[in-house]
Amino acid sequence: VTTESEWIQQARAGDQNAFGRLVVAYQTPVYNLAYRMLGNAAEAEDASQEAFLRAYTHLRSYDPERPFRSWLLSITSHYCIDRLRRRRINWLSLEEEIAVPDQPTSNSPNPEAAATQHEREAQIQQMLATLSPTDRAAITLRYWYDCSYDEIAEMLGLTVSAVKSRLHRARRALAEKITEHAGTRADAHADSHADSHAKEGEIDYAMLPCQ
Amino acid sequence: MQCYHASEMMSAHMDGSLGSAESDRLQEHLAVCEACQTEWQSLQAIDRLLTSAPMMQAPVRVRVQVMTRLSRRDQARRAFVGGTALALGTVALALIILAPVALGLLDSIGIAPALASGGPATMAHLLTAWGAIGRTLLILVGQFAVPLVLIGICGLFALLALNSICIKAMRRLRASR
Repeated sequence: VTTESEWIQQARAGDQNAFGRLVVAYQTPVYNLAYRMLGNAAEAEDASQEAFLRAYTHLRSYDPERPFRSWLLSITSHYCIDRLRRRRINWLSLEEEIAVPDQPTSNSPNPEAAATQHEREAQIQQMLATLSPTDRAAITLRYWYDCSYDEIAEMLGLTVSAVKSRLHRARRALAEKITEHAGTRADAHADSHADSHAKEGEIDYAMLPCQ
Repeated sequence: MQCYHASEMMSAHMDGSLGSAESDRLQEHLAVCEACQTEWQSLQAIDRLLTSAPMMQAPVRVRVQVMTRLSRRDQARRAFVGGTALALGTVALALIILAPVALGLLDSIGIAPALASGGPATMAHLLTAWGAIGRTLLILVGQFAVPLVLIGICGLFALLALNSICIKAMRRLRASR
């Protein structure tokens, strides 16, 4: 923690190398947030760079009493939310928004496991893309960063009750999507195997990921 | 218990913010409500899916790209500051050189008393004065073209040197802080 606060102080005094160390320390959390929000690697990379540049520009307004990670993730979230809103205005196609991950998500030598992981990632991104930008940010901060209601509220400029309500709404929307997805897969399974026991409307939870 | 309330409690339960009494009430409701049970199962499936998703690793080039963009932005800012300083310096130098000439002219044609007294005559005097200044400048440029060009070039080099010294001093000051 001491080292980090030293880097922050040095970066505030204009030392770009110290800021470079902060970039190395936080590039994965920032990139992951941007990736989960924007849904593709190229945009996530660009958004990460932009978030770091904004952080460097506004480093003087950073309150050292506040965790640096929260401050940085807040900048990233707001940037991604703005970008998603602009994207909506620009009428980009849905296909672009829910692009399938285009980079390996696992270092596993097992190609089958890697393929499953890839499919799961695609499913996650497709479902996240159906949420509103702010709901997407709330869900991402909750699941990937284990942020509390208070932290999410501070980062996104919302009240705690708004965060609870957004998480609840987002979960319900995602639950509906996963039910649809499971139903589709069950139907496909039933079509391909005439002797399948899959019944109409039944959710095949065995198809869903397990703990 | 209303089903919508139960649904909110399910979400709170997943965040670990539901008290034990409320949790018990939720379990009781789930035991008797099939619709909520179905929702609970799909919410749990979502919870498992998102919890199992890993952090996406940032490409190594992110740091290099950020540092390159920072450095480029710094260079652009320095060029802007340097350019502005140079322009201001040139204007200041021109004023310093021309001020005595202009002041002498103002004095010789008696514009200072006219400005002090005010009135409609001031505008006429001003126009006459600007005309005189313009004529004088043309004569000066005609007569002293070579020294003026030399002064201009020397002034430009002096300003460039001063600008470079200022930038270096600022860098040292920033590094020492």
